[in-house]
Amino acid sequence: MRFSWWGGDSRHNATLKAIEAFEKKYPNIKVESQYGAWGGWLDQLAVQIAGKSEPDVMQINWNWIYQFSKDGNGFVDLNKYNDVIDLKQYPQTLLDQMTLNGKLQGIPVSSTGKVFYWNKTTFEKAGIAVPSSFDDMIKAGKIFKEKLGDDYYPMALTPYEQMLIMVYYLQQKYNKQWIVNQKVNFTEDEVAEGIKFIRMLEDNHVYPSQKKLAGDGADTMDKNPNWINGKYAGFYEWDSAQARFANALADKQEMVMGSYPYDYGKTKVATVKISMAFAVSKNSKHPKEAAMLINYLLNDNEAVDILGLERGVVSNENARKHLESAGKLTDLTYKSNVAAVENAGFALDPYFEDTKLKDNTGLYFEVFDDLSYDNADAKELAKKLVNGITEVQDSNK
Amino acid sequence: MKKRKYRKCSHENIGWFYILPWIIGFLIFKAYPFASSLFYSFTNYNLFKGFSSFGLMNYKKIFETKKIMNSYAVTFKYAFMTVPLKLIVALFIAYILNFKIKGVNFFRTAYYIPSILGGSVAIAVLWKAIFKDDGIVNTLLGYMGIQQQSWLSSRTNALFVICLLRIWQFGSAMVIFLAALKGVPKDLYEAASIDGAGKWKQFFNITVPLITPVIFYNLVTQLCQAFQEFNGPYIITQGGPRESTTLISLLIYNNAFKSYEMGLASAQAWILFIIIMTFTVLAFISEKKWVFYSDDETR
Repeated sequence: MRFSWWGGDSRHNATLKAIEAFEKKYPNIKVESQYGAWGGWLDQLAVQIAGKSEPDVMQINWNWIYQFSKDGNGFVDLNKYNDVIDLKQYPQTLLDQMTLNGKLQGIPVSSTGKVFYWNKTTFEKAGIAVPSSFDDMIKAGKIFKEKLGDDYYPMALTPYEQMLIMVYYLQQKYNKQWIVNQKVNFTEDEVAEGIKFIRMLEDNHVYPSQKKLAGDGADTMDKNPNWINGKYAGFYEWDSAQARFANALADKQEMVMGSYPYDYGKTKVATVKISMAFAVSKNSKHPKEAAMLINYLLNDNEAVDILGLERGVVSNENARKHLESAGKLTDLTYKSNVAAVENAGFALDPYFEDTKLKDNTGLYFEVFDDLSYDNADAKELAKKLVNGITEVQDSNK
Repeated sequence: MKKRKYRKCSHENIGWFYILPWIIGFLIFKAYPFASSLFYSFTNYNLFKGFSSFGLMNYKKIFETKKIMNSYAVTFKYAFMTVPLKLIVALFIAYILNFKIKGVNFFRTAYYIPSILGGSVAIAVLWKAIFKDDGIVNTLLGYMGIQQQSWLSSRTNALFVICLLRIWQFGSAMVIFLAALKGVPKDLYEAASIDGAGKWKQFFNITVPLITPVIFYNLVTQLCQAFQEFNGPYIITQGGPRESTTLISLLIYNNAFKSYEMGLASAQAWILFIIIMTFTVLAFISEKKWVFYSDDETR
């Protein structure tokens, strides 16, 4: 059977090792691996699913169940294999998030939260501590420009991260959920205010313009030479992916987790979601064996030792206890996840990351590119953003 | 009698048997997808939701959506920048390499190599690395004291970078031009020299008219390829910055495989097909006015 996943090199190596161990344990089962980087992964998987040629076991984002299996029939109902997969090891709330129409679409692998990460080495070069508030970030922007030069920035954000920071700001200031009943829960004026906030940060040299980022010629931030050499000294990333960014830093530079800013209110608004899940193809000829692989990877101590926190902080209770007793829940991924969960607020809407919005050809990129390149009118952009999100929500009703 | 009739019949029809594999392949891989995409272009077909309505809504949407019309405009800009430049460069280099100069075989090979490498994914990735802000091109400009450019983040420059990727592959057109130049009789140049015609006059009055069939061939094939360019914008700029390099093929891909709107993508593809066909027909109509064939007695 086939198993597919995306990730960085360390995740690939660990997963291949775990698969090897699984095949030793079950010699009658052969697993063909299909893996790669994140870029283009969803396009490829969508075509495979449409063409009924998808792998037996797939690593998916939790919200893909809404895209590929709205009626609950897109993936195998794993409730049917509760004799193979120990479902008692997962919090019911997480299983409920993976259930549609009473059918369990996938097993949650880990939870993940967006965290502020800082290159401590660069901040030390600038002679300041890493920021713990938006005000600190603005002050850092000025100091970076004066002491280190124009091409040094406290952080770098893609339009998607700018969208998340804007929602962070608005949710904290107005103490309300971004999307309610599939509608944007903010007025256009409020959204315009959020857009102005994002522009203000760029104007204060907190992060480079989108034009500068485009000129860097990097596909992802961890491959950007300015991140690697420490000129972009911060990023807003999922804790499950932080290792990729930390490992990319050159010359023993140190990456640390930052605090969540509370400049605009006391509401906790950190974004936390199920990081990813393992699902079984409805066209699989070996659903039981697929379920066995999932249970092995997530619940068997041997696999848990090999995989560690490569996919973020594990949702499986047995795995979590095992890693804790082995003293493995100490690294930055775990600490970041604990912090994210402690500061978590409103749940992420399942269509927040719809391709039409989140992709680099999507609405978030359009809006924040217009803002950065042209300093377009915030009210016009707010209207465009709200209308676009409404269109996507309506198409998913 | 019956046996003879049967033998005659099967002898006459044996040709169908030989071309049957091609026919089957054509039906499965060309005719069926063509017909399907034409059908889907009139529906709201979504890859995961199927379709529920039939009509001209996709075609209406194409002409009413600024983003889509912009991508057609960008594609036109790309094609009409790339094709003439590529042909001019190819003809110029072929003309030079037609002389008996030392090491000419080496240069012919060297100029052909980019065509072999093509505009593949690997080359597109390399192109991106060369033209990024701190890439080789800007480094060289810096050494020469020329102001560095934002190649990938400027709307004008980004399209030029994509064009350059295709122009760089002029080798295949150059080889075809070279073959045509070798076919021009030398005595025509000798006669022209005797009459006092200089090199430029000889080029425009002898060389170019005699190689117009090859110019025509290269023009039509390059135009068809240019309108369908995908690798460059997909890998190098992802259609940015600000949709300045979103060629229609990239938008078709995005609509089909990111938004799963197969109906709309099919309609866009059919409009692209009509555009390419129109230009090809126009080229063939204009052929009578400027393409000269050596066996054409009416000219």
